[in-house]
Amino acid sequence: MLDEIDAGSADSTARLGWSGLVRFLHLAPRAFLPMRAMEQLVLVAGQGIEGDRYMIGREEGFYSHKPEEGRQVTLFELETLVALKRDAGIELGPEEHRRNVTVEGVPLNHLVGRRFWLGETLLEATRLSIPCRHIEEITGKAIFDPLINRSGLNCRILQGGIVRVGDTVRNAA
Amino acid sequence: MSARPITTIKTVVAGIEAAGTGIKVFTLADPDRWDLPPFKPGAHIDLHLPNGLVRTYSLCNEPADNTRYVIAVKREADGRGGSRALHDEVGIGDVIGVSLPRGGLEPGADIARHVFVAGGIGVTPFLSMARHLLRIGNADFVLHLIVREEVPLAAHLAPLIEAGRVVVHRTSRAGRPDLASLVGEVGVQTMVACCGPEGMTDEFEGMTAAWPAANVHIERFVAPPPMIDPDAKPFVLSLARTGTEIQVRAGQTMLAALHEGGIDIPTSCCGGICGACKVGWIEGKPVHRDRVLSPYERERFLMVCVAGSNADRLVLDL
Repeated sequence: MLDEIDAGSADSTARLGWSGLVRFLHLAPRAFLPMRAMEQLVLVAGQGIEGDRYMIGREEGFYSHKPEEGRQVTLFELETLVALKRDAGIELGPEEHRRNVTVEGVPLNHLVGRRFWLGETLLEATRLSIPCRHIEEITGKAIFDPLINRSGLNCRILQGGIVRVGDTVRNAA
Repeated sequence: MSARPITTIKTVVAGIEAAGTGIKVFTLADPDRWDLPPFKPGAHIDLHLPNGLVRTYSLCNEPADNTRYVIAVKREADGRGGSRALHDEVGIGDVIGVSLPRGGLEPGADIARHVFVAGGIGVTPFLSMARHLLRIGNADFVLHLIVREEVPLAAHLAPLIEAGRVVVHRTSRAGRPDLASLVGEVGVQTMVACCGPEGMTDEFEGMTAAWPAANVHIERFVAPPPMIDPDAKPFVLSLARTGTEIQVRAGQTMLAALHEGGIDIPTSCCGGICGACKVGWIEGKPVHRDRVLSPYERERFLMVCVAGSNADRLVLDL
């Protein structure tokens, strides 16, 4: 059925259109450490974010023992933080979800397998992030269940560069 | 790539300071002086010592001082070895893994008065608390410190003693003070807390038994056994391919027991949704608590991060 209709293809997504903004940028150099808000991040193609725990070769993250080429940068929707407060009464800050980039107006769950521009950098979405108990341990907040299916997006970096707060996010299809 | 998961916060010993007879103050910091995970006043951390021991110490610094963890350790010659290792083997620049901070006492908005009672080195969590209360401008607190003669952490406590915040009771001179008279009357706006040797905390616990539980806090040198679900039961995992038997304690996850037994199981979410830790089972009565396996799959597989057992023995295809 899905093969026969134009559902969510790159063409239809481009035609329907969306564009969003980079609202917050965060990184942490090692597992468990608080994420620090940054005005800009340096993305290195095929590697990761300069100074971040999951930069390939650095490998100081909680999941670094499970190397993953498609986890060079992670994104999260600002709308999810709004929904958590609205629907579950949980106040979660953009520094607490532990993804690197908080975007607004970007349908992350629709982008798996797609390419898109994050400022001047080109990303390819590899898979949806999944919530983990580790984040509950760190934040002390019961967010595992409310984050199922909206826990962000893992991406590889095809074209590196500097990403700044306020940059535009747009489809590359 | 690290072969094993990173399970502790990496810190380096940034300072060691003598703080009284047999007491050293250790300052632990991130290698790049990054902020450390936040903590409540009087929280404690586990130190994973170079010799393999894991020991718990209260933090002496306050939450706003968040680029370091400061602990005070009294050398116990006849103790279990943690304090000796720290005093005798650990130096500046050494790397020590620590746990996320746990416990501590959040000063409630409706608490107007705090009374702390400490015995000897048990003063450490209240040093953190006192510093925090002073920082946030809370005026009404007192710390009764009961010592034989010498005041531990004297340099750290001196400003608080001078300001009348800490009252020192020397048992060598005046005998042991009456805890009830130190604590005073029960009141919903009063929080009382005690940390010290077992005899003192037991007496304190008995004396405050009639108080509302929310207004009493007790820190023990030796942690009480963890709270376990009364319905949880221990069971044995039998690994069919190797014949190994692994004991799962009541309330423990199979995953933790397998890891303790040296069995490396891939994991990710640890909450029963990602499917990473799927393991086949052969015999027994598994209790499935995952949200990823179909009823058909559950006939042959389970997720070791959340599954339990309804029988004494469960045979896994490992």
